[in-house]
Amino acid sequence: MKKLRILLADDHIVMRTGLRALLERQPDLEVVGESENGHEAVELAAALRPDVVVMDVGMPVLNGIEATHMISSKHPTTAVVILSMHADESYVMRALRAGARGYLLKDSAAVDLISAVHAVSQNKSFFSPRVSRILAEDYVRVLKQKGAVDSYDLLTSREREILQLLAEGKANKEVATTLNISPYTVETHRSHILEKLNLHNPAELILYAVRKGIIS
Amino acid sequence: MTEKETDTLVASPVQKRRRLGSRAALFAGFGALLTLMAIICIDSLDTLRAYETNNTQIRQEFFHRERTLEQVRSGLYETGSIMRDYIAIESDPQAQEMLRAEFQSIHNETTAALKACIWSLPTDERAPFQVLSMEMEDYWSMIGPIFALGAKQKKELGNSVPHRDVLKEHATILAITKEVSAVNDDDLKEANRRITEVFAQFRRRLLRVATIAFSFGLILTATTIMYVGRLEKSVEEKYHESLQAQSALKELSKRLINAEERERRAISRELHDEVGQSLSALLVDVEHLIGVSSKEGIFRQGLRNIKMLAENCVNEVRNMALLLRPSMLDDLGLVAALEWQAREVSKRTGMLVDTVEENVSDNLPEEYRTCVYRIVQEALNNCSKHAYAKNVRIVVHQDPNHLRVSIEDDGKGFDPSRVRGLGIVGMNERVSHLGGVLKVDSDPVRGTRLRVDLPLPSASTHQEN
Repeated sequence: MKKLRILLADDHIVMRTGLRALLERQPDLEVVGESENGHEAVELAAALRPDVVVMDVGMPVLNGIEATHMISSKHPTTAVVILSMHADESYVMRALRAGARGYLLKDSAAVDLISAVHAVSQNKSFFSPRVSRILAEDYVRVLKQKGAVDSYDLLTSREREILQLLAEGKANKEVATTLNISPYTVETHRSHILEKLNLHNPAELILYAVRKGIIS
Repeated sequence: MTEKETDTLVASPVQKRRRLGSRAALFAGFGALLTLMAIICIDSLDTLRAYETNNTQIRQEFFHRERTLEQVRSGLYETGSIMRDYIAIESDPQAQEMLRAEFQSIHNETTAALKACIWSLPTDERAPFQVLSMEMEDYWSMIGPIFALGAKQKKELGNSVPHRDVLKEHATILAITKEVSAVNDDDLKEANRRITEVFAQFRRRLLRVATIAFSFGLILTATTIMYVGRLEKSVEEKYHESLQAQSALKELSKRLINAEERERRAISRELHDEVGQSLSALLVDVEHLIGVSSKEGIFRQGLRNIKMLAENCVNEVRNMALLLRPSMLDDLGLVAALEWQAREVSKRTGMLVDTVEENVSDNLPEEYRTCVYRIVQEALNNCSKHAYAKNVRIVVHQDPNHLRVSIEDDGKGFDPSRVRGLGIVGMNERVSHLGGVLKVDSDPVRGTRLRVDLPLPSASTHQEN
């Protein structure tokens, strides 16, 4: 079986050591490189072409978000998992916008990292449960404060189905195959969903899905 | 009493005394000068008045005497001709009576005028007039009996004797009046001379006093100019000093703010990167140990406790770091930091905080990010603590040359002209260090609106993307 090749990017050597030990205890995972800043991570990603990059946010020279943006735009096959101290929406949103597929909290890395690496390598999203919970709570709280209607109720059941598949990271074509409809129909549904939920890009769509607990 | 106060108390009396001394000297000098000028004025006026009075009096006296002499002369001539007429008239008692009355009246008038003149004169000048008066009496006694004569007697008298005597007396009296007139002239000249001399004296005195006043005034003017110059110089120095102190103070406050921010960032980073990361690494290891320990027991329970403690620690450290300075401000930019803050405040206080960012670059210079962030932080604090607002709206707008921030709430307002504090002074400091303007509009009904306008340096205006 081919092992998943992983690149670690974290400026903290203790953290890197711990993560490497954690990952290499799995027979199907292999850490192929380590970098201590964002710039190095971008260069190593280009040189090693890993399957997954595990990326810290606060790093010198180039921060993790910027590095993620550069890696995912140059090498779409490389999946990035962000490892962060913060469960806050602004970090999650920017990580997603930069092209990250997973977002993990450092204090739950030991529990979630393995599943996260597996999930993103299969092109799925992954969020630490605590992140999902916090985002969902915030969403509910704001709705309640504003006294607004939950826009999710406006979606049809077909649209909800498609929302979930898109949020899981599937492309229009895959969704079409899964549901046995044409890709154009999927595209129409997609634009309706974005309009109804007042969303503007795939990152916001994923964030929305996490908030609603549709994906985790 | 502190040491500083003692210092000023010791230093000031010397200066104060010196200042008081020169001020007193100036007052005295000006007082003297004014007095001198007043004396000159009064003296001049007095002298002029005395001169005027003297002059008039002398002239009046002179004319009075001349007039009296003139009256004496005409009295002589008139009575002479009346006498001749009286003798010439033969027998007309009525005409005789008329001439007699005329004579009597002239006689009376002349005598009275002469007497009055003598009375008005000072005793030492009476002599010539007394002589004249005596001669006139002789004349009257000589001419008087003629008017008592009857027609026969007049004929006897003929034109001879009395006539000659009367004419002789006439000549004597005229000579005397001439003499008196000459004396009168001399008197007038003498009086004029005396007045001229007094006047000359006065002129000399005036010149002397004026010279003194002028030189005194010169000295005083010079002293005053020097004194004013010294004052001006010292005022200028003081002004300069206070300006310098002001700018030094401004610089100091800027440095303090910067230093505080730097410290906060350093501590926040230290907590976040060192303590937080180490604890996270610890958690990874502990989690692994829990995973590999096969059975439940004291060992596993202990690991669980350690894990829980470490998790709490991570949370604590993260919150402390965020409170000191949110990492978003440096990692993600102003917008992310403001949104995070809005969510946090919203979560903590129940206030609904809306943020709108228009065109705001993620690459704003650090001091601008910090300035706006701290101002919004302070404003939100005020909104929840003092205004009890329900809704807050934060708008940040960037254009090529300006960064504008507005923070509006619907809470209890205040009177910005009376209420300072509420951190507005601090906000103002921050804004003015970047050359910006802070405006506060507030009224009790509509709530508070805070506006900040920061000019952007041209280098930082490049937009992201």
